[in-house]
Amino acid sequence: MNLGISAVEFVSQAKDGTISVEEFVAKTLDRIKKVDEKIHAFITVDTQNALDKAKEIDKKIKSKDKVGSCFGMPVSIKDNICTAGIKTTCASKMLENFVAPYDATVTSRLKSEDAIIIGKVNLDEFAMGSTTEFSYFGPTRNPWNPEYVPGGSSGGSGASVAALECLASLGSDTGGSVRSPASFCSVVGLKPTYGLISRYGLVSYANSIEQVGPIAKTVEDVAFLLNIVSGHDPHDNTTANTGHVDYVKDLKSGISGKKIGIISQMIGDGIDKEVASATNAAISQLQNLGAECIPISLDAVEHSVAAYYTIAAAEASSNLARYDNLRYGFDFSTEGYEFKAFVSKARSNFGPEVTRRMLLGAFVLSAGYYGKYYLKAQKVRTMIKAQLDEAFKKVDYLVSPTMPILPFKVGEKVDDPLKLYLTDINTVTANLSGIPAISVPFSMSSSGLPIGIQLFANSFKEKELLQAAHALQETTTLPEITL
Amino acid sequence: MVDRKEIEHLGDLVKVDLSEPEKYIKQVEQILNYFDNLDKVEFHSDDTLRTQVTSDGLRDDVHKPYGDSLIEHLKKDQNNFIRAPKMV
Amino acid sequence: MTKIGLEIHCQLTKLASKLFCSCKAEYRNLEPNSNICPVCAGLPGSLPLLNKKAVEKAAMISLALGCTIPEKIGFFRKNYFYPDLPKNFQITQYNAYGPTSIGSDGKIEIEGKTIRIRRIQLEEDPGRLVYEGTSEKTMITLVDYNRAGTPLVEIVTEPDFETPKQVRVFLNVLADLVENIGVSDPYLEGAMRVDGNISEGDGNRVEIKNVGSFRDIEKALHFEITRQQSLVERGITVLAETRHWDDARRITVSSRSKEEEQDYRYLPEADIPIVLIGQNSIEQIKIQMPESIVARKERYVKKYGLPAQVAEVLSSDKFYSDLFDKAHNEKNAKEVSNIITTDLMGFADTREKKLELKITPKHISDLADYIMASKLTRNSGKTALQEMVKTGKSLADVMSSLDLGHVSDAGSIEKIIDEVFKEEEKAVAEAKQNPDTINYLVGKVMRKTKGKADPTTTLDILRKKLSA
Repeated sequence: MNLGISAVEFVSQAKDGTISVEEFVAKTLDRIKKVDEKIHAFITVDTQNALDKAKEIDKKIKSKDKVGSCFGMPVSIKDNICTAGIKTTCASKMLENFVAPYDATVTSRLKSEDAIIIGKVNLDEFAMGSTTEFSYFGPTRNPWNPEYVPGGSSGGSGASVAALECLASLGSDTGGSVRSPASFCSVVGLKPTYGLISRYGLVSYANSIEQVGPIAKTVEDVAFLLNIVSGHDPHDNTTANTGHVDYVKDLKSGISGKKIGIISQMIGDGIDKEVASATNAAISQLQNLGAECIPISLDAVEHSVAAYYTIAAAEASSNLARYDNLRYGFDFSTEGYEFKAFVSKARSNFGPEVTRRMLLGAFVLSAGYYGKYYLKAQKVRTMIKAQLDEAFKKVDYLVSPTMPILPFKVGEKVDDPLKLYLTDINTVTANLSGIPAISVPFSMSSSGLPIGIQLFANSFKEKELLQAAHALQETTTLPEITL
Repeated sequence: MVDRKEIEHLGDLVKVDLSEPEKYIKQVEQILNYFDNLDKVEFHSDDTLRTQVTSDGLRDDVHKPYGDSLIEHLKKDQNNFIRAPKMV
Repeated sequence: MTKIGLEIHCQLTKLASKLFCSCKAEYRNLEPNSNICPVCAGLPGSLPLLNKKAVEKAAMISLALGCTIPEKIGFFRKNYFYPDLPKNFQITQYNAYGPTSIGSDGKIEIEGKTIRIRRIQLEEDPGRLVYEGTSEKTMITLVDYNRAGTPLVEIVTEPDFETPKQVRVFLNVLADLVENIGVSDPYLEGAMRVDGNISEGDGNRVEIKNVGSFRDIEKALHFEITRQQSLVERGITVLAETRHWDDARRITVSSRSKEEEQDYRYLPEADIPIVLIGQNSIEQIKIQMPESIVARKERYVKKYGLPAQVAEVLSSDKFYSDLFDKAHNEKNAKEVSNIITTDLMGFADTREKKLELKITPKHISDLADYIMASKLTRNSGKTALQEMVKTGKSLADVMSSLDLGHVSDAGSIEKIIDEVFKEEEKAVAEAKQNPDTINYLVGKVMRKTKGKADPTTTLDILRKKLSA
C-alpha cells in the first residue's frame, strides 16, 4: 500500500473500493510507530478512535451510505487547534493535560466530511517560533535529514505530511508558521487571506494576523482541504462572507498571460546562494508557463519584521494572560498561596521564547510606549497593504523564495532570538497585510535540503493563487522521502 | 534602557516569576533596539486593516444555553465554584 | 469649590444574552457556574461575539443623554490580573487615541445645572467573588462566572457636580431614564453601581469606589467633603487616592488598592470587528426610542391639560405613565391622572408593590368615569380603588360588595346631618362661631355615609343649617 499517494488520489481509491480505509489507516499508524521516534512530529496519536472511525467508514462505503468527501483521509492537526476529547497542549506545560470540551470549527468541518483526525502534532510553544525547537515536548526534526529543523511553528504539520504519517495537516500561520515548515519539509502550505478560515478553536497567539492553514503534498490536496475548512463562521466575527467558492474547480487553468512581480527586497544579497538560484529557476519556469515576470519593489518590507514582532508580542502578552491555572491547566494547588504569587509561579512554566515575547509585548504596550511601537507597527501594516495594492494593479501575483536560507541544524539558532526573527523576512508581509501566500516545494539543495518558492495574490484571490501554485508544482520533479 | 529592574517590572505586569531576570536583559534590549527602526516610518493614513461590519453582521440577542455543563470540565470544588488563592 | 464627577456602571438587564456570548444576561439566583460557556469562561480558542441589541440599547442611552455617536465603534482590552476576570483582561471601549466608544460629549440638565457627559461605553461585567473563611490566613476566594460577560454601559461625567444632592437627583433622573427607554431595570440588585471622584478647590482628586446605593453615595460624598475640608483647614494636603465607603462605620476608608498604579496596556480587541454605525441606523434607533420623560411631560400638559406638578410626577414614573396612557379616554384624562397620582401612587411606590397590583387600565378608567358622573364620591372612590387593587374585582362588583354609591339626594343627606348635629353639639356651636371648622362636621357626615355623601350638597345643607 502506497502511503505516498496524494489526498485526492486516496479519496478516489477509497471511494471506488480500490483500497480499504481501515487498511490505509492501520498502515499509517504503523508508519507513525516506525518513524516518529526519529522525527517526533506527534504529541498525541489517537490510535483506537482512528481505527474505529476507519472501520465505520468502510462499512458506510460498502453499504453505499452517504460518506463525507474525505472518505476517511488521515489528517493531523496542530496541537493549538481544539479537538474535543483529545488533548490540545499548545506544546506547553501550561496546557499539558488540557482536553478541550469543544471542537474548533475547522476540526468539526473536517469531521463532518469524514476525515479522520489521526493525531495532534508538535509546534513551537503557543505557536511562537520558526523551528519547532521551543516545544515543551522537545523538537520535531526534519524528515529529509533529522539533524535539521523542520521549520516552524507548524513543524509537526510539515514533518508529518512529508514523512507520510498522514495525508494532510492543518497548521496555523502567524508570521510564516505554515509556509516555513512547508518550505523546509518540501510540501505545500497555504496561509489564506485573514478572515477566510475560522479561528474559533485556534488558541490565540496574535489574533489580528493569524490564520489556520492547510498543508499537504500537492496544491490540489490543499485546494481540496480549503473547500472543506474555509468560509464564514458565525462563531468567528472576523470571518468574511465570501460566498461559496470551489477552489478545486479550474485548478489547472494555468497562468498563461499573467503577470508576476518578483519582490526585490526578498531576493537581496542576504539570501543563501542556492536559494537564489532556485528562485531564478522557478522564475524561468513561470515564464515558460506563459507568465511575464517583472521586478517589483516593496520598500515597506524593510520594516515588516520589526512591525510583525511588535504586534505579535503585544497581542501574545494579552492573549496568554488567561493561563492563570485557576480554571484549567496543570495540577497546582492554591493552598497557602496569595493570588499574585500563585499566578506568577504557575506562569513561570512558560518556556523562554514565550516569556520573552510576553515581556516584549508588555513593554511595547506600556503607558508611554504605545505610540512609539505598537501604533507605528500598525502604520507599517497599512503601508505594506497600500504598496501591495499598488503592485497588484500592475501584476497578478508576486513571487519570492519562501525562506531566505536553507534549513539549518537543530540547536544552531536557538540562542539568538533576533537572528531567528530575521528569517521571517519573506513571510511576515502576507500576515501583516492579510493577503494569501503559498509555499510550493521547488527543488532540493546540493545537500538534499528542501527549497520552497512562495507565491502571493491579493486578498481573497485564493482560487487564482492556487492555479499559479499548481502550475508551478507541475514543473517540478522531486525525490521521494527515504525516511 | 533595559535593566534588571525593568525586566522585573515587566515580569510583574505579565505575572511571570523570573528566576533569572538577567538572562532576558540582553535579548530584550537587542530586540527593542531593533524595534526602534519603526521610528523611521513615515506613513499617514487613517485606514486600518481591521475587519468592519455593520450591525447586521452582529450576533442576535438570543439566549442559547451552552449545551454541556461546562463546569464539569473545569477545576471546580464540591460546590461548583472555582477556588482562587486569597486576595491580600 | 467642590467638584464631583461620577462613573456609573449600568447593566443592560433587558437583554436576553450576555455581551459577547449567548449565555443568559440575567445571572441572579442561579447555581454557581451554571450560566457559562467557553467564551465567558475564557477557555483557550474561544472568541467573543458582540451582541447586536447591546449596541442598540447603548446607542439609545447615548441619544437620551445628548451624546454624539461616532460613525465607527471599536473595542479594546484593559489588561490586568484578577480572579473574577476569566481572560485576565476586560473587553471595554476605552481608547486614549480617539472616540471609538458608543457615545461622547453629551449633557443633561439637573435642577438648572448642566452636567456634561464625557463618554458612554459598552463593556463586560466580571464574575463574582465569594469569600469563604474568616481569618486572613484561611480565607479562600470562590469564583462564580455566571455574571462574567454581562453587558454594562459605563457612563462617565465631567466633574460638574457641586453638591452631593445634585448627584442624588442626577442618579434618580438617570435611573428613571434608563428604565423609561427600556434598557435596564435599575432597581435590580447590582444593576446600577456608582463610583465618584471628588476634589476641593485646587486639591487632589479622591476616588470613592464600591458604594452600595444611591443614598450611600450621597452620604459618602458628604463625609468626604467634610474630611477634605477639615484637612485643608489644618493645612494638610489631601492625598490623591482611592477610598471606599465603610457603611458600618459611616466613613470613607483608604483602600489597599487592588489595582495600585496599574498599567492596563490597552490594545485593540481584534476579535471584534469595527462596527459601522450609519446615520440610517441612528435614525432607526431614534424612531424606535420610547418617548422621553421630558417629551411625555410636555404631552401631558399640552394635550391633556394636566397641571405641571401632576404631569411631572406622572411622567417620571414609567409604570404609572404607561398605566395612564392606557387608562384614559378623551374625556377623563385629568381624573385618571388624579386617581393615579393622588391615590394609587400612595398605595404602591416600590417596584415590588407595583408588581403586586391587581389593577388594570379599565379599572381606573371606569373609576374616573363614575366619579365624573357623580355616581361615586372621591372618598368612596379611594375605598373602591383600595379594594380593586387588592382583589382585582371590577368596579361594579366592588361598589356593590362594599355598598359604595354616591348619595346625592338632599333628603338623605339632611337626615344624616341632623343625626350629626345631635351627636356633636360642641362642634356645631364652634362651627357657628368659626365657619372654617365646618370640615369637621363634613367629615362626620362622610363617615356616617361611608364616604358616599356628595360633598357639595353636604356643605350646602350644613351651611344653611348652621346659619339658621
